[in-house]
Amino acid sequence: MPLARVKSIALLGLRGDIVDIEVDISDGLPGYSLLGLPDAALLESRERVRSALQNSGATWPNKRVTVSLSPAWLHKSGSGFDLPIATALMLAQGLTPQMDLNKAIVLGELALDGSVRSIRGVLPALLSAAERGFTTAVIPMGNVVEAEGVQGIKAVGISHLRELISFIEGGAIPEKINQISEPNPFQPMVDLSEVVGQERARYALEIAAIGGHHLLLIGPPGTGKTMLAERIPTVMPPLSQTQAVEVSAIHSVAGALMSRSTDSRTPPFVSPHHTTTATAMVGGGSHFIKPGACSMAHCGVLFIDEAPECSSGVLDSLRQPLESGSVAISRAMGTVTFPADFLLVLAANPCPCGRFNGKGRTCTCSSLQIRRYLQRLSGPLMDRIDIRSFVEVPSRTELASSLVGESSLVVRERVIAAREIAAKRFSGDDWFLNSRIPARELRERFRARKEGMAFLHTELDHQRLSARGYHKVLRLAWTIADRNGVTSPGLPEVESAYHLRQGVEPR
Amino acid sequence: MSQDDISHLVLLALFEGGNEYWSSEYLAYGASTLLDRITAGEYVNQRKNGLKLIATLKLLDRDYLQDQVESAGAFVITRKDADWPQRLDDLKAPPVALIGRGLRSTLCALNNSLSIVGTRNPTSYGVRVAGDFAAGAVDRSWSIVSGGAFGIDSAAHRGAILAEGQTIAILGCGVNSVFPSGNDRLFREIVETGVLLSEVLPNVHAIPARFLIRNRLIAAISRATVVVEAAFRSGSLRTARDAAEIFRPVMAVPGPITSPTSDGCHRLIGERTAEIVTSIADFMELVGPLSE
Repeated sequence: MPLARVKSIALLGLRGDIVDIEVDISDGLPGYSLLGLPDAALLESRERVRSALQNSGATWPNKRVTVSLSPAWLHKSGSGFDLPIATALMLAQGLTPQMDLNKAIVLGELALDGSVRSIRGVLPALLSAAERGFTTAVIPMGNVVEAEGVQGIKAVGISHLRELISFIEGGAIPEKINQISEPNPFQPMVDLSEVVGQERARYALEIAAIGGHHLLLIGPPGTGKTMLAERIPTVMPPLSQTQAVEVSAIHSVAGALMSRSTDSRTPPFVSPHHTTTATAMVGGGSHFIKPGACSMAHCGVLFIDEAPECSSGVLDSLRQPLESGSVAISRAMGTVTFPADFLLVLAANPCPCGRFNGKGRTCTCSSLQIRRYLQRLSGPLMDRIDIRSFVEVPSRTELASSLVGESSLVVRERVIAAREIAAKRFSGDDWFLNSRIPARELRERFRARKEGMAFLHTELDHQRLSARGYHKVLRLAWTIADRNGVTSPGLPEVESAYHLRQGVEPR
Repeated sequence: MSQDDISHLVLLALFEGGNEYWSSEYLAYGASTLLDRITAGEYVNQRKNGLKLIATLKLLDRDYLQDQVESAGAFVITRKDADWPQRLDDLKAPPVALIGRGLRSTLCALNNSLSIVGTRNPTSYGVRVAGDFAAGAVDRSWSIVSGGAFGIDSAAHRGAILAEGQTIAILGCGVNSVFPSGNDRLFREIVETGVLLSEVLPNVHAIPARFLIRNRLIAAISRATVVVEAAFRSGSLRTARDAAEIFRPVMAVPGPITSPTSDGCHRLIGERTAEIVTSIADFMELVGPLSE
């Protein structure tokens, strides 16, 4: 049979499109042409496929070979088409399948010796394939773990082209080399009990985790801002099945799944350096649109240390995802939407030298520098930050104390309980976090009790609170009420919320 | 504008404020006589810059100075005027004259006025206290005096304006220059409901030294001074010391000992320069009986 067809998947963002790979072997001068808008990596597949075929006992046809990837208008990139092209070549040369290959997709990169290498984006590709009714997927052995989360598709991991041949000819499924370890749904490496003191910051962190409120930590260097931020995922509720798959899919596209097990239920923690560009933050790229840091932090925590040091525009690029929970990236090849619903945690020093704290006598910054420093965080961004918390230098009694603070487990249980209360209240609504209550609903359905509202109105009258601030305080008050097990926020909750928002004494 | 007023403008153009020698010469001879004495060379032997003064004086155009003040929409206040703030004369180097912009009637309210000063980088606590104190004082029919800087100064003015009181900003630059420019809006509001004062001519730029010289005016012009938040090295401490020197009541608001912006206040309290105040009622107790 000089003509063969195999199906594979081309990814654009998280969306997969089915690609038909057709190989035609005809008489004529020996040659090879690849059609269908391939990029450089895909063009090079010819050499990889040729060597791989020859080194695994198959033959390379000394004829005129035409490979067509359709739909022809779709840009295709990456090395994942090596394996389907090789498969189609073998089929065209007379390999007879024992199964219906129309219901199977093939993905993978080939090494010259015929072994199959892992590629990125397997999980979202399989998700799209399952959606379209495919039942079998032939993927690199190294990517088999990713397939665990996909329902309705049988993943066959292969590590060498020879295994593919025996699978197609006889249906022999190669044994998995590395047995997948027991599912490890939630086992964070760090714990909140390692943090010494910091009662205020701990409280702020817990409230942030309950209500999904964005957080700013201000404090001198070395007081534990990073340490605290790293522990936020440990107090957040574990991801749901759908969330876990979604997060893994994003990490798979970014090629960063190695650092994260696919069935992990720990919310991701992403901390880009402050020299990051806006593109790295929100995602982008010309050949292949990669998710940015804010999508990697989807369902988890995006932590930016030394936030005022970020170049202008980088932090502000987060405003759109903060508002909509997703980022749309447009490039010549199309528009890609990645989910980006994260908890933003910013950390900042109080001034450029970092010592404007305590007595502040060693600080070498001028008054202007101090004022300008935190002003580098733009107003619109700061407006989206619900909680401002000061992280103080731990006192010597705190440092010397053997008293261990609450562990992540204890706090997490409180967070889960509080979130359940909120979820019950929001049943029937399309949000489940207090920080996401729309302003209108807040004014109609979610008012605080009378004394609480009176407090807010006084602050409004004195112009100490903006209209946006008013809503933010109210949302925070609901979170605090949920934590304390109060049915609706009264004066103590509203006051506490107000102080969290203003960055003064919280309790 | 009278010829005497213009003579005062010439003196303002000739000397920076806060100079004890020239202040006393002015008080002894009056504006026009002093100018005549300078031209006559009376100071050539006594002052190093005596000759230079004569030359500078020749170059000064009286019409131009008058025009500068008038086109800025400003007015001159001298000792001859009934609304001259007499407390300023307690200073070692009282100003020769003041330039004002806004409601001149506000000057009468200086009789019962409170200065609120503090850092340009306050915490939200400081902003709140400054605003509350200003509003509280206004409610008890006091007027507010402060500088024109960001932070506590602005918070005090805002508090007074919100409580619909009279507020006076004493600037280190000309009354028509907006420094810092971010306070443009606040200055416009003050011009409508209060007054901007300065001892330099309009269009004179802000330089750091002028603000320190200006501080003595804030200390002297009001009945009492409250320092809300000040760091260890803060210009507000200078204002407090200036006020204490001429026996004006000085008060400071305490804060957390871990807050750098309260360190200066605690220092004032520790040195017994300032009384501690924790509410506007405390303040009234300290200065109230004097106002009877």
